[in-house]
Amino acid sequence: MIRQAQKFLDKLELDRTGRPGRSALLANDDRIVGTGADDLCQLGHELLERLNVVAVALVEPALPFADFLIRKAGRAESCLVPRDTETRTFLHDIPFVRHQELATQPADQLARLLGNRKGILVEGLGIIATGAVTPEQAYINVSSIFHSVFVKYLLDILGEKSLSAEEQLALADFQKNWLKPLASDIAFAPAGTLDERAHILDEICRIGRETVRLGLVDSFFGNISLRHQETIYISQTAASLDELEGCIDPVPIDNSSTCGITASSELLAHQKVYAQTGARTLLHGHPKFAVIMSMICETAECPITDCWKDCPHVRQVGTIPIVAGEVGAGGLAERIAPVIGEPGAVMVFGHGVFAIGRDGFRDALAAMIATEEWCRNEYFRRLEANG
Amino acid sequence: MSVSGKQPFGWQGQALHVNLSTGTIHSQPIPGEWLSNYLGGRGLGVRMMRDYYRLDPFDPDMPLIFAVGPLCGTAAPTAARLAVVSRSPLTNTIYDCSAGGRFAYRLKQAGYDALVVTGTSSRPVALNITADGARLDDATLLWGEPVSATVRAFANASSVAAIGPAGENGVLYASIMMSEGNAVGRGGLGAVMGHKKLKAITVKGDRKTRVADPDRLRLAQQDIMRLFRASPVIFGELGIAEYGTPALVDLMAQRRMAPTDNFRKTLFANSSNYSGPAIRKHFAARKDGCYACPIQCKKSTPQGEHLPEYETVSHFGALNRIDDLHTIVKANTLCNEMGLDTITAAATLAAWGEIRGEFPTATELGELLAAIAHRNGDGDLLALGSRRMAQQLGHPEVAMAVKSLELPAYDPRGAYGMALAYCTSNRGGCHLRAYPISHEILRKPVATDRFSFAGKARIIKIAEDSNAVIDSLVACKFSFFGASLEEYAEALSAVTGHDYSPQELKRIGERIYLTERFYNIENGFADTDDILPERFFTEEGSSGDGISINPIDRTRFLEERRKYYRIRGLDDHGRFTDSDFLGQQP
Ligand code: SF4
Ligand SMILES: [Zn+2]
Ligand SMILES: [Zn+2]
Repeated sequence: MIRQAQKFLDKLELDRTGRPGRSALLANDDRIVGTGADDLCQLGHELLERLNVVAVALVEPALPFADFLIRKAGRAESCLVPRDTETRTFLHDIPFVRHQELATQPADQLARLLGNRKGILVEGLGIIATGAVTPEQAYINVSSIFHSVFVKYLLDILGEKSLSAEEQLALADFQKNWLKPLASDIAFAPAGTLDERAHILDEICRIGRETVRLGLVDSFFGNISLRHQETIYISQTAASLDELEGCIDPVPIDNSSTCGITASSELLAHQKVYAQTGARTLLHGHPKFAVIMSMICETAECPITDCWKDCPHVRQVGTIPIVAGEVGAGGLAERIAPVIGEPGAVMVFGHGVFAIGRDGFRDALAAMIATEEWCRNEYFRRLEANG
Repeated sequence: MSVSGKQPFGWQGQALHVNLSTGTIHSQPIPGEWLSNYLGGRGLGVRMMRDYYRLDPFDPDMPLIFAVGPLCGTAAPTAARLAVVSRSPLTNTIYDCSAGGRFAYRLKQAGYDALVVTGTSSRPVALNITADGARLDDATLLWGEPVSATVRAFANASSVAAIGPAGENGVLYASIMMSEGNAVGRGGLGAVMGHKKLKAITVKGDRKTRVADPDRLRLAQQDIMRLFRASPVIFGELGIAEYGTPALVDLMAQRRMAPTDNFRKTLFANSSNYSGPAIRKHFAARKDGCYACPIQCKKSTPQGEHLPEYETVSHFGALNRIDDLHTIVKANTLCNEMGLDTITAAATLAAWGEIRGEFPTATELGELLAAIAHRNGDGDLLALGSRRMAQQLGHPEVAMAVKSLELPAYDPRGAYGMALAYCTSNRGGCHLRAYPISHEILRKPVATDRFSFAGKARIIKIAEDSNAVIDSLVACKFSFFGASLEEYAEALSAVTGHDYSPQELKRIGERIYLTERFYNIENGFADTDDILPERFFTEEGSSGDGISINPIDRTRFLEERRKYYRIRGLDDHGRFTDSDFLGQQP
């Protein structure tokens, strides 16, 4: 248990979600064990004593966006409602506690909130999230909240006239120090050389790791596949793309076996894309600026209100098409397959990017990077233009 | 909460009490405290058993309780289910069994949260329930009839629950069948019903369930549906909505944990003969399922014959080394007609097969099942289930059961959480109490290492609590391959107008769970009953393909079990430290 906790605590710092040295992850076996900053461990311990869960993570985020959002929230509000897919599907909303509302002995107060949701935000303290089953789950929930807050804050400020000096400073720092160039010099195996199961699995694992290293997907979201003859090799559901060893399902394209019941929830999208394009590989991630840009729609007087699922249009930013549709059987599969072939990548409203490769993963990763890069640049161009 | 006079939101607030010895029938309010603290279904039934749990399962005063939940009759998905609660003649434990179909919904529509049947009739009867009242009718002419003929006799009813010959003849694993083909399958509650000479119960009604906040419920319902769609196990291309639970056949073979040869092996070479895709192909399987359930995981033929579940195909298949799909489907249909639990029937035959050195042949199988239901010839002994049968034949070691309940089709050597959960289950060797297959195999909500005990004690404990609540709502376990208690707490709050948090629900689950364990311990159960058959600690399964199926390390198992007891607040032998536990519960 403690090894698990340590592993995911390290991950939180490595992927730059948590401020170095300012996180804790605790797990309850038959007693509570934990690792991380002492003060956070102390609070985590008190929370675990009060909750019927296995793990809790307390993370001061590396970016101050959550605190900004909390301060901007209306007096009557007590939770953030980001509109991206991860929040909508798994978190619903994110309760927060303002600094001045925080009790001096806050364990009961926070445990009550955590009893309702997978994670919460505490101003000045950060993200607290639980894992009902494993420490990994607490990590996933932190990561998801971090993602949602990131997307919501940056999206919100695009619509704001002016930002405080503190925010401007934070944004400059974010651009200069937190964001990293999206460069990959990984070598790719051409599809022609990928004809053996072992090679295929290796290549998928390698590209998965690179996708995570580049920050194109967080925690256990995203999926990846390669089609070889009559089989789609696809990452399993709830598998982290940087740890795919042993987590790739071979799925026969004629559905003659159901072993792939554990395959990614986007299996249907992968199947449809392979059936309708000549692609050999497919990569799906949640790169943050693509998620942000996919949610900006300039159509005036549109009658549709639930855009993320109901928008029937193929919108466009730059050269990249954007479609709507929810996860899994929620409709995105039908919408991406017809439009992905030509541009090689498509964005899904509030969700992420799907990219294909015709010869191994080279084009797929390149398309994903290019999309995110374009969105990142376009985002800052628009932010600048706002003044 | 007050239930006097006005019908509360969510619940109907009434229980129908039927005493078959005296023929009296009356409706009685259920204390509001019971509803809010035990919800319904399993929890409510278990609470209602407090004064009766010491009775013999066949004592005339033993209640047979049918309880629905507060979500039944609302838009909350998969909630049209009920729990049947009593004491099992097979396991002697407190017992509850969840079932879908339409019966639960109609019972609630008739105006009741629970039906409590006590007493024993002197002649076969049928209980007919409508919103205007209930009546006992003579059913002498139906006695001996199979389930389908019994159901046909009540063409006017909206739904029927009936026993077949197995229940009449006291087969210790007789089921109660719903007219829609759903079974109150395990634990022999059909024998309890048969002992009462109650052949059938019919229900019909049109009362609504009142919802406190319909808008809030609609949002919760949408959240749940979104998660169903995001779940590969539920609505995925290869999931249970498409293939039913036999979608697991290929997976269990691939994971090398499909019990074969009465659990001597864990891989059956021909299992693909009865896989989900094979069943779909051979029987043109169509979707079927419980009332208003969006998943519709049951499968049937175009003629309406119900096709078997994963457990059934695997146990008549691999466990008995039968690889002919049609034989398996026929066995399933026969069990449904006779009112036999398919899992125990198949497992008892497999154990018997190991003793006599020969598994039943395809031709023998049908005859044997009929013999069991009628208790003819070998069937008389087989009707007692594997533990009693094996004991009487001098081979107690071949009964693959925990607390006399035969293990289903997940070999514990292939999933250590499952190994522990079989043992801590209050109703014996059941996979559904903690359902660790969800994370150990299906990766929901996250994956855990199936070959490790680390952390499993608490995971099992939490899951047992959660599932006790799910069985009390009553929602379907399959929902939780996608949704969580978070969304169902929201639905419950919307329906009842009383705010429930997921943590509070787990507390309710814990109360239900401990109450059941308390009953069992008082009835003489001990840690020595919380143990797997010897085979799993000494024999290996079918290793290969880079997967080793080793015997379970007994020391490690016992260590984790001790942790489990501690986490539950019990002593090192799994006993209560407070003899007044029940006195402190609402
Ligand atoms: S998922 Fe299947 S068993 Fe569960 S309620 Fe729906 S139809 Fe019934
Ligand atoms: Zn995604
Ligand atoms: Zn002992």
